[in-house]
Order: sequence, then C-alpha cells, then structure tokens
Amino acid sequence: MSAASHPQLSNELVDHLFRNRAGQMVAYLTRVLGAEHLDIAEEAVQEALLKALQTWPYNGVPDNPAGWLFRVARNAALDVLRHRKLVSQKTAEFVATAEMGSSAGSSGDSDFEEKLRDDELRMVLMCCHPVLSQDARVALSLKTVGGFSAREIAKAFLSEETAIAQRLVRAKRQMREEGIGLELPSGKELAQRLDSALEVVYLMFNEGYAAQSGPELFRKDLCDEALRLAQLLADSSVGTPQAHALVALLAFQAARLPARVDSQGEMVLLEEQDRGLWDQALLALGFRHFGLSAEGEEISPYHLQAAIAAIHASASSEADTDWEHMLQLYDELMEVGPSPVVALNRAVVVVKVKGIADGLAELRSLAEEKSLRNYYLLPAAEASLLLQMGERDEAARLFREALKRPCSEPEKRLLVRRWAECEAIAPCFY
Amino acid sequence: MPNYMLLLHGDPTTYKTMSPEEGQKALQKFLAWRERLRSQKILVGSAKLKDEAGKVIRGSSQPRVTDGPYSETKEVVGGYFTIEAQNYDAALAHCRDCPHLEYGGTIEVREVEPVPGT
Repeated sequence: MSAASHPQLSNELVDHLFRNRAGQMVAYLTRVLGAEHLDIAEEAVQEALLKALQTWPYNGVPDNPAGWLFRVARNAALDVLRHRKLVSQKTAEFVATAEMGSSAGSSGDSDFEEKLRDDELRMVLMCCHPVLSQDARVALSLKTVGGFSAREIAKAFLSEETAIAQRLVRAKRQMREEGIGLELPSGKELAQRLDSALEVVYLMFNEGYAAQSGPELFRKDLCDEALRLAQLLADSSVGTPQAHALVALLAFQAARLPARVDSQGEMVLLEEQDRGLWDQALLALGFRHFGLSAEGEEISPYHLQAAIAAIHASASSEADTDWEHMLQLYDELMEVGPSPVVALNRAVVVVKVKGIADGLAELRSLAEEKSLRNYYLLPAAEASLLLQMGERDEAARLFREALKRPCSEPEKRLLVRRWAECEAIAPCFY
Repeated sequence: MPNYMLLLHGDPTTYKTMSPEEGQKALQKFLAWRERLRSQKILVGSAKLKDEAGKVIRGSSQPRVTDGPYSETKEVVGGYFTIEAQNYDAALAHCRDCPHLEYGGTIEVREVEPVPGT
C-alpha cells in the first residue's frame, strides 16, 4: 500500500520533507564525494527535488519518500561524475553506500539516520569556519544546510540576489583554496568552530525574529531553521552547556511568536499578549535545554539571555514577572556580553524596577551609540515613556524619528498608532 | 460516466529555479489536488511524460522522423490525468483549482470517445 493511499500520512511525511532532507542529502553526498565537490552535491539534490515535484503529482507519493529522494540524488550525482569523467573510487564508494541510502527515512535504519545527523553537523561546522567572513558563514549555512535559495537569503538579509550568489561563490572558492573539509577539528579549534556556529545560529534567529523590513513582523522559516540547527549542535557529540543555553533561549523566544501578531497581522506587545497562545511544546523544550545548560561552570551570554527569557516564559502576566531578578541578570549580561542593544533592553527593565525617570536616563545615555543610529526601538522606547509622562509633543517627535528607521510593516503601523495617540486631542461633541 | 483526458501543457523549466521551500509548497498543492480527485473516486489514471520534445513520425513508405511536435517552443505536454465527469463543464470545474494553472501552465481538456455499444 503506498503512502498516498493514506492522505494524512502522506501529508505528514511530505510536510517538511524537502527543507529537512535537502541539507542532509547535500551533507551526505558531500561526505561521499569530498568537500571539493560540494557543487555537484547541491546540483544533485536540486535535481532529486525537481524530479519529485514533477512526478509525484502524477504517480503519488512513494512508500518511502526520503529513501526515494536519496536514491535519485545519488544517481544524479553519479551521472554528473560520469559526465565529468570523475569516475574513480568515488563511484565504488557510492555503490557501497547505495543500499544504506535507499532505506533513509524508514524506521528500521536508525544507524543511517544517526550518520546523517553527523554529516549535517560536520557540514554546519564546515560552513562556520572562522576564515570565512561572518556574512559568508550565515549565507553558506542557510544555503547548504537549510536549503534556502539565494533569493530567499537575499530577502531575509535585505540584499540583492546577485550579491548573495556572489558571496556564496566566493565562500566556496575560499573553502576549496584553504582546503576546508568536513573533518571535525579537535581541542581549541573545535571550541572555536562551535562558538562560530552558535553565533551564526543566533544571528539567523534574530533576523527571523525581528525582520528588518517587509510585510511580516517575523520570518518563521528562519526562526525554525535556527532552532533546528541549535538543537542539532546541542544534541551532538560536540554539544556544550552553551549550545543547550542557546536552544533554550531560541525555544523560549519562538514559543511567543504565535502571540506576537493578532489575526489581522498587527503587532501585539508583550504586555498585551494572550499568554495562552504561547507554544507549550516549545516552552517545554526550552526548559528542558535550560536544565541541561546548567551543567558546567561557565555562564555565557546565552545562559543569561536564556535565564531572562525563562522569567518571561514562567510569568503568568506582566505584573507577575520577576523584574528585579531580571534586572540582576541584565547587570550580569552587561558584564559578560555588553552591547548597546542589551543596554537598551536593560533600560526598559529599569523602568519596571526603579521607575520611569531612571529608565529614561539610561535610555538617553545611549543616544550617541553609533550602532543604534538606525535602531527604531531606541526612539520608540523613549517616546513610550514620554507619552506615559504626558509629554506628548516630544513623544510625537520621537515616534516620527522611529518611523524613519528600518522596520517591518506591522511595526511601522504600530508606531503610527502610537504617534496618533500623542496627537490625540480631547474628542469634541457637536 | 464519460472520461476526460486532461493534458497538462507547460514550460518544464518553471520548477527548475524553485528553492526546496518553494518546491515543497508547489508539491503540496499538487498532492492536495490529486488527493481530492482520488477521494472523490473520479481519478481514472495519470502519467508523467518526459520533459522533452519527443519524436514525430509521418509517411508510410519512407516514414520521416522529426523532433517535435513542439521543438520550436519551450512548451511540452508534461503529463496527463484521466478523470470521470458528467460533461465538459464538470471536467473544467475539476481543473480550476489545479495548481498547474497557478504556475503558468495550460490544461487541454478532451473527452474520451466511449466504445460504442457498451
């Protein structure tokens, strides 16, 4: 009986199949072919997905969709090798692994699934090699591991598709020239590589969580992929308490996403969110990894940020939130990982603990920060406080200033509504 | 009930530039459409044809073989579905939500001549 005869089953199987398996297949083929043939691996996987897209509508979904994709991708790679007369021992290895690949996705082959996760891990760590620029690491990870197209990456990072495509080509050339492969480094170098990978994942999530422009408030696909990669790193043989802390942080943040927009696509601020909409499974995932992050001595910025997110996650309301504890955590964070954005967030907590005047002073001390010059939340936060104090004119000016800075459409609309509140005069009754 | 053949004409390169995510979305739409036909028990058969021009042969004593029939255009018949429907209107109604149209393809609908006397 084919999977297609169970509509529900086939939908479940196919739901995230392409995105989830694309990176794995590229990683697997790259291991077998050698890192210098990453392009062939990508081409072959693209070919397999295309074949599925073109034939499954007519023939239905095969019994083992993942195994089908692996088989077709492997054959496509073999064709390219033959075509380019690269046949050698690579072909022999291929044939040797043929049987394994065919059973991918079936429940009986947990060894192969384990091997695939290892391939994927090596691929992430390869893409996050410190010789590559940070931009290149992020783009490469999204492309080869996350299965994002250059167009999708460009959209997420407000860049041109051709610029991203060039960045990818350059990064791959650099990897070839430097002989960067899938070998796992050890000791200090491994720790460095893992740090770099965690940073890439963190950036990816941030970009998804607060889209810098566009019609959507956040980009769930980027958030999902970042969380998936964080879990891959944390649960792997090279996982560290830091990696678990990052998973916890991302899971807590992702859990709140469903409550951040209302049914009309409008932005809902934390204090007004329906906490019943928070994703319970993600909260549980967050707390589980938060527990695992407590092993070891080190308290990283990820630990502190996860602890802050955990306070929000466990509070039943704005009033129920332990702001004092949160302020302590922000103070610690300013010591181990200070940044103007952290300082801004801390200032908002200062308002809750010490009052508007103190918070406002903290915010104003950030006015000269270069890195916040284009950050709309700085003037927006100050404006909110001024509005609470009844200083409407100055608040209106700052909301207007915030509107000049890049943000998503829902954020813009929220700023416009707040601005309108400043301008509002007593209603007249004729 | 009469059978109708739905011939899906289109440019096979349409799907080539899709990312895994976009391809996934397209596939899901196609599978949902196929599933609707199947669950209504009107899907008689379907097959994918290879995305190439194919060959055309004509003449009897010295048959001439050419590429074609669409060798000048990018369009090919990508495949077909055979469905049961009361009449042309009903057959066309089943095509309206076929994702092939959304992706720029056209569907040629032809009624199958029934075998006389059955």
